[in-house]
Amino acid sequence: MEVTLKVKRYEFGNDLGSSEQSYTIEIDGQDTLLDALLQIRDEKDPTLGFRGSCRSGFCGDCTMTVHGKGAITCRTKVEEASKKSKDGVIPIAPMKLTKVVKDLIYDDEQFHWAKIKATEPWVDVASTVPDQDQKISNEQVKELRLAMSCTQCGLCDQGCVVLAIDKTYLGPGALTKAFRTVHDSRDTRYKERLDSLSGKRGMWDCAHCFEASEHCPKGIEPTDRIFDLHDKVIKEDLGVGGAKRHYKSFAASVKADGWLDEARLAIESEGLGNVKGILRLIPLAVKAALRGKRPMPYFLHKKRPGHKKIRSIFEKWEVKK
Amino acid sequence: MKYAFYPGCVSKGGTPELYEATVKVAEKLEFELEEMRDVGCTGAGVLSREISDPINARTFAKAEASNLPIMTICSTCQGVMAQAQHRLKDEKYRNYINSEFLSDEGLEYKGTVEIRHMLWAVVEDFGLDRLKNIVVRSLEGLPVAHFYGCYLRRPPELMVPPEFKKTRKTALEDVIEALGGKVVKSSGRGKCCGFPILTSNEDNSLQMCGDHTLDAKEKGAVTLVTPCPLCHLELDGKQADAAAYRGEDINMPVLHLPQLIGLALGFTAKEMAMQRHLVSTEPVEMALGFEVKA
Repeated sequence: MEVTLKVKRYEFGNDLGSSEQSYTIEIDGQDTLLDALLQIRDEKDPTLGFRGSCRSGFCGDCTMTVHGKGAITCRTKVEEASKKSKDGVIPIAPMKLTKVVKDLIYDDEQFHWAKIKATEPWVDVASTVPDQDQKISNEQVKELRLAMSCTQCGLCDQGCVVLAIDKTYLGPGALTKAFRTVHDSRDTRYKERLDSLSGKRGMWDCAHCFEASEHCPKGIEPTDRIFDLHDKVIKEDLGVGGAKRHYKSFAASVKADGWLDEARLAIESEGLGNVKGILRLIPLAVKAALRGKRPMPYFLHKKRPGHKKIRSIFEKWEVKK
Repeated sequence: MKYAFYPGCVSKGGTPELYEATVKVAEKLEFELEEMRDVGCTGAGVLSREISDPINARTFAKAEASNLPIMTICSTCQGVMAQAQHRLKDEKYRNYINSEFLSDEGLEYKGTVEIRHMLWAVVEDFGLDRLKNIVVRSLEGLPVAHFYGCYLRRPPELMVPPEFKKTRKTALEDVIEALGGKVVKSSGRGKCCGFPILTSNEDNSLQMCGDHTLDAKEKGAVTLVTPCPLCHLELDGKQADAAAYRGEDINMPVLHLPQLIGLALGFTAKEMAMQRHLVSTEPVEMALGFEVKA
């Protein structure tokens, strides 16, 4: 089939900035977009810059933006991509949120690897005696296998709504990598890692909107991995700040009343000793009350009819954990 | 159509106007609502699934026993319940939850519950044609930006599965059009509103709130509409803070889905309890020809 690829061009340091260039080629529709780019570079334009390595969806190197969305180009068929636009033209741009170096090549060190490295993604074992096995159970490996299948393609970070507005957030890619280490029983820094990941720009900045899971092409479900990290932090009673207070207050009110005491949640999320924080709530509370919104806290908050049953479920769970 | 009505915590607390509007609109739609009172919070994506799954299984068991589908009015309740329902399809896991948490009460969840957000009930059970027929005050081209709330969109395989793609993919847009409104596609329509990170990172949360409301404003919307009260708490409740954070005026009214439907079905703004909103809904009322106090 004949197909046109409209490729974003960019030359680092070139004052002319970015532009687009269209290439029309003859190619089998079942070939991939990476095949098409390789063909263009071989036959039409040796100056076209892009990355690609394994051509099998294993290395995550050829991630680009296709039709405005992140895609692994060695896993995207030309015909399939062409059908997505009325004129059959396939727009290709570099990864979003990244600093572009040339054409479709972006600086993955700055945006991606720096965050991965920040999680210290290696297992720190108790003993370093040479030739001594560091064993892990098959059961545990089963749970880790999914996270270990991550190819670092970066699509979860591309979809993340928090990273889109705050590049300092660790992001779902790095947090998934962190899950892999935290979940490894051989590692000796379990609590230290969780504590660190609970800090600013860490796991609690996740909006748990499932964008990362929707964007992950390997089914790793990064959002669920972040939920796993939340659970571990709460179980170990680690971390500090509003997110932890928020969780504790949420759980306490559901346990006590069967449902959420919103006013209590607002107060306790600020911290009971935080006079400044609680005073800050007053203008909004007054405004809401004047409009007839009156969620009542603590003993004024009505309990659900089945609250004792909900409490009983909590108590059984607390014994189990 | 009769439902086991699960109103959620927020419609009984921070957004009482949603509960009031839902009850009135449901009556017009001939939805018989049997409110579930003896049930717990879904966990809202905050609580660990280890505790929220048993609480939700208890809710499901009760709906199942009454042989009624659950109707929610909150994207978050709907999403969290749908995910729990999906996990509880696994028989081994369901048996574990039943025996460890529900059997004391003589309850058993058999895995058959149906859970429908009111938006889906309107489109799938009531029908868009019937809705058009009962409109007494067309929105007459009122530009409305739709905001689903992320939990009503994702994970897509649970929230918009292939068999429901026709009805659910554009359900909110279809309802707006059936009521005579004009859909304004805001860029944040399927995104997170910012509410879940309000406590952990208020700056980012306000940035999101500002982005969504300003985008709707720039695109000419007179109001946003959402089927999620948590999005409402953020987009309406925190809008003034977002405006201050951004240093820009916003003033974008945010309606709950039943309020928008109710206006087209002839209810007044007061009957839809719109006076309870923190951002004035007067622009909507004026556009629809209501008398607004100067």
